[in-house]
Amino acid sequence: MEAGEEFGPWLARQLKIAGMTQAELAEELGLTRAAVSAWITKRSVPRPTVMGEIARALGTDLGTIHTRTTDTQAGLPVTWYHRPGYRDGGRDGGNAAAFAFDADVQVLARETCQNSLDERLVENGRPVRVRYTIHELTGEPLEAFRAAILWDELQPHYLAVSETAADQKVGRVVDAGVRDMFEKGRLILLRVDDYNASGLTGDDYDDGKFAAVVRRQLESLKSGSSAGGSYGLGKATLWATSALGMVLINSTLSVPHEGRTERRVIGRLELPWRSVEGRECAGPAWLGRPDPETPGAEVVRSWWADTETVERLHLARDSDEPGTSFLIVGAHDVASLASDKADSVIDEDENGGSEDDGTRDITVMHRRLVEALGRDFWAAMTGGGSRLPLLETSVRTLRNGEVVIPEEKVDPGVTQPSRTRALRAFYEGTTVDRLTQAGQVALRNVPLRLPLTGGRRGTLGIHQGVLLVTEAEDRDGVPNQVHSLRGNRMTVRKAGVSGLPLGVNTFQAVLLVGQAAGDSAPFAVEAEEFLRAAEPPEHDRWGQTEELTLRWSHSAHYRISRLTTEVNAAVKELVVRPKSAGSQENAKLRKKLTVQRKTSAPKRASGPTLPELDGLTAEIGAAGEWRITAEVKLPRADELPAMSPVVLLDVRSGSRPKLDWAELVAVDGCEVEGGALRFAPHARRAVFKGFTDVTSHPVRSEFTRLVLELRAGAQGSEA
Amino acid sequence: MKFYPYKRLNRPIALRVMSATLKLPDGTFDPLDTSAYSVPQRTVALGVAQHEDWISARIGLSATLPPGATDADAPWSGLRVLAVLTDGDTNLRTTVELRQDAPDSKEWSGQIEVLRDDHAGRASLAAYAVATVDGVEGRSITETDADWTVDVVSEEPLGGLRLDVKQAGFSKSAREWLRPYADVPWVIDTSGRLPLVMINTDVEGFSDLLGGNGGGIENKIHELLLSQMATDVWTAVFHSAVGDLEVEPDGSPVFPTDWRGEVLREMLPDVAPGLHVEEALRRVHRRRTDDTGWVELQTRIHYAAVRRAGASKAVANALRALQQMNREDSE
Repeated sequence: MEAGEEFGPWLARQLKIAGMTQAELAEELGLTRAAVSAWITKRSVPRPTVMGEIARALGTDLGTIHTRTTDTQAGLPVTWYHRPGYRDGGRDGGNAAAFAFDADVQVLARETCQNSLDERLVENGRPVRVRYTIHELTGEPLEAFRAAILWDELQPHYLAVSETAADQKVGRVVDAGVRDMFEKGRLILLRVDDYNASGLTGDDYDDGKFAAVVRRQLESLKSGSSAGGSYGLGKATLWATSALGMVLINSTLSVPHEGRTERRVIGRLELPWRSVEGRECAGPAWLGRPDPETPGAEVVRSWWADTETVERLHLARDSDEPGTSFLIVGAHDVASLASDKADSVIDEDENGGSEDDGTRDITVMHRRLVEALGRDFWAAMTGGGSRLPLLETSVRTLRNGEVVIPEEKVDPGVTQPSRTRALRAFYEGTTVDRLTQAGQVALRNVPLRLPLTGGRRGTLGIHQGVLLVTEAEDRDGVPNQVHSLRGNRMTVRKAGVSGLPLGVNTFQAVLLVGQAAGDSAPFAVEAEEFLRAAEPPEHDRWGQTEELTLRWSHSAHYRISRLTTEVNAAVKELVVRPKSAGSQENAKLRKKLTVQRKTSAPKRASGPTLPELDGLTAEIGAAGEWRITAEVKLPRADELPAMSPVVLLDVRSGSRPKLDWAELVAVDGCEVEGGALRFAPHARRAVFKGFTDVTSHPVRSEFTRLVLELRAGAQGSEA
Repeated sequence: MKFYPYKRLNRPIALRVMSATLKLPDGTFDPLDTSAYSVPQRTVALGVAQHEDWISARIGLSATLPPGATDADAPWSGLRVLAVLTDGDTNLRTTVELRQDAPDSKEWSGQIEVLRDDHAGRASLAAYAVATVDGVEGRSITETDADWTVDVVSEEPLGGLRLDVKQAGFSKSAREWLRPYADVPWVIDTSGRLPLVMINTDVEGFSDLLGGNGGGIENKIHELLLSQMATDVWTAVFHSAVGDLEVEPDGSPVFPTDWRGEVLREMLPDVAPGLHVEEALRRVHRRRTDDTGWVELQTRIHYAAVRRAGASKAVANALRALQQMNREDSE
């Protein structure tokens, strides 16, 4: 018999859920209360025949009572619990933490992947796998999903929020989200699954990962010292991405809770203050099973759902590997508008009639997710040598269960080729001391002098960071950048190297500090802690922060500036050609005496402009003559000089043989006069034809390269 | 505008230098740092202070063909990719065939050997894709649009032309031709491979002034002198460039390929404004060889030189410094 949970605790919970006392059950079974009590305290188990009667009493079947992997459906059904309004009359216009983020799937990708990385199960050494599923629902599947989330219960709340839409940001967003679902008849679910992560462990209310994510704001209970987040803000992006403010969660735990691991389900809704049917609601609401232990059994808690329920909620997980699935209901991506504006002018015209605002385009969301994952997590996704990557990510897009874009595994080598190459070379130990071949990766150590804590003067020790430099590739984006990472393998700091001389080959550099520098690096743990403290909530730089000041000193951030100086010096040493000691030439004079190679196209000459050749087609005639048709672009001028077309043969060196015209014919906008073209006044284009004189050809025409030039003046007058 | 009598590819080959290794007289090899070449400047600088006497350099190359070159239905056959090193000074061409990295790959690679004795200064490196088109072998179907420069002398991989500056005491110099000029601070020699500016160290304190980095009025005078020198240099190199032109049978000048060409391209837009450089060169050449117009052109040549030398700024700065000094004196 495959049993989920021990019988005693399971029965105790079922009684609680059903609102039944031990005495009532005993009476129904015709047994003594002591017998029931003995089961619950694990002193005995009921005989098989009694099992059937217990099942009947609890309103469930024998299977459930034998396997005990889910709760019985008896008692209070799963429902939404809305937190009542504050007694002091205070009103929240939404969740403040969620305001810190705009609806942006790229920010979501960054924050959720970060959390998954922090919760990775490290013992087995395998990467944490994160999968993003974009799923658009329309028609019947949408109806079914709405029924599953008990939409009818929520409808009055959304209506109440919509009424406030005129003067409230959250209200407007929610209103637009609801209208989009009904008017367009669609809903986008964005699901974030992680596997090989710890899952939402811990009690429903007490300290633990579950409560940190589901119940609390601005609390972070990260698993390791190298964790990326430390502010507990990240999870708010989940709700910020949902236009309906709704996120459903299904977690498989790495550590059993209540004897179970699989299908711990709860939903959380973030709405602003509202008044529904005379009852004031503070804001958040939870979807779960009413907890009989709370006053009036109103508060809901997570429940152990059966497979059918998670299926209906679109929360079914692929395997029993621990991890969590977040389902963002009504996902939208406001930020895609800003980033797409530049490159999709044409799209806008095409979609002009559809009045779609573009924030709910699932293919754009897909592309933006892949892009963000490659950009922000290339280092975590890179392995090499004996080292597996820390993270694997993929994105897929579905519509009503049908695949729109198949699962795409994000490959860091595609989005960040040179940086990935650098890190891989470091893991594999194939770095070099100096770059002598394109594609090599050079390694340099750079010191970070760690200060003593508590404002004391002096240095705790010198941490040796690892600087990797390699040639840039076009796909990496901005060249000549140093990306800095610490233990969580996320790019924290991106900075260009300034003061590079002209003509330096473009490069990309990666700075590994803290635990990223390798286990053998001295003071890695201390450096990790120091840099984490120097990181602001945006995780985009290291510098002066409050925490740094409190734990170290006001001047502690100068240590980071000094590291930057060291890094820039080391980079320059690798990529800049050293000046030979012997050259004492005056720099200023040399500069004045240098003819710069023109990199840009020559500027259009100012002053009086001349007609220019603008098109040329040619073919070789039957007699071997060149037959050409040429177009001339005419500048705007009252009077244009006559121009002589000259045919030459291109050669590698020496002077170019000139061919004679057999015939020159004006076609449009010009007339031929003594071998020169005279242009019609106010014409903008002119076309002429010409045939060369075969007797003037020095070689067979098939072996010649034709050059046509327009020269000022009538032919012959210049010789 | 050019026209070819057969089908070609529209887009150019992208040629890249991947490495440079010097072969030394003792038979050893010295792989140079990748900073010996510059991708943005498309230049390889083989001059290294430690090894004046290298024998040859091996330059690793990689060429990427444009799409369509290796298509099965392309109108050509027998595609080969060649790297060609051309030296305008020594009139030498070296050709090597590159190997395709993998069947049907767009990437071709190989290496070219540059013999030190074959080159005096700058040679240009290009890649050609050649094939049999319409039954004619060895036709170029596309090439690089911008050549690489291989400089066997320079220590810095900079694409631009740099005029040489040297110092010597003229009166006792081993360069005998300098002795007649012992009483001037500098002379310019445009007869060599590169224009050379000789600075006379016999003029006391002059080289100190040029080398110094003092502040105040000294600095301004220094700058003024430099711009004066540069004006002289630019005027001289322009005259030398137009005075030594190769002429086509019809009398029109051929654009020079060496430093003269670079100087002309730089200065002609100021000498004959509003014209394309080829046309401008024809006009300047006509004026020089014809009876009239050469004298009138001198003002424009001088103007072009002064602009390049930054004389206006130097004069303005010097004047301002002088005025300031006068004010301080009078206070």
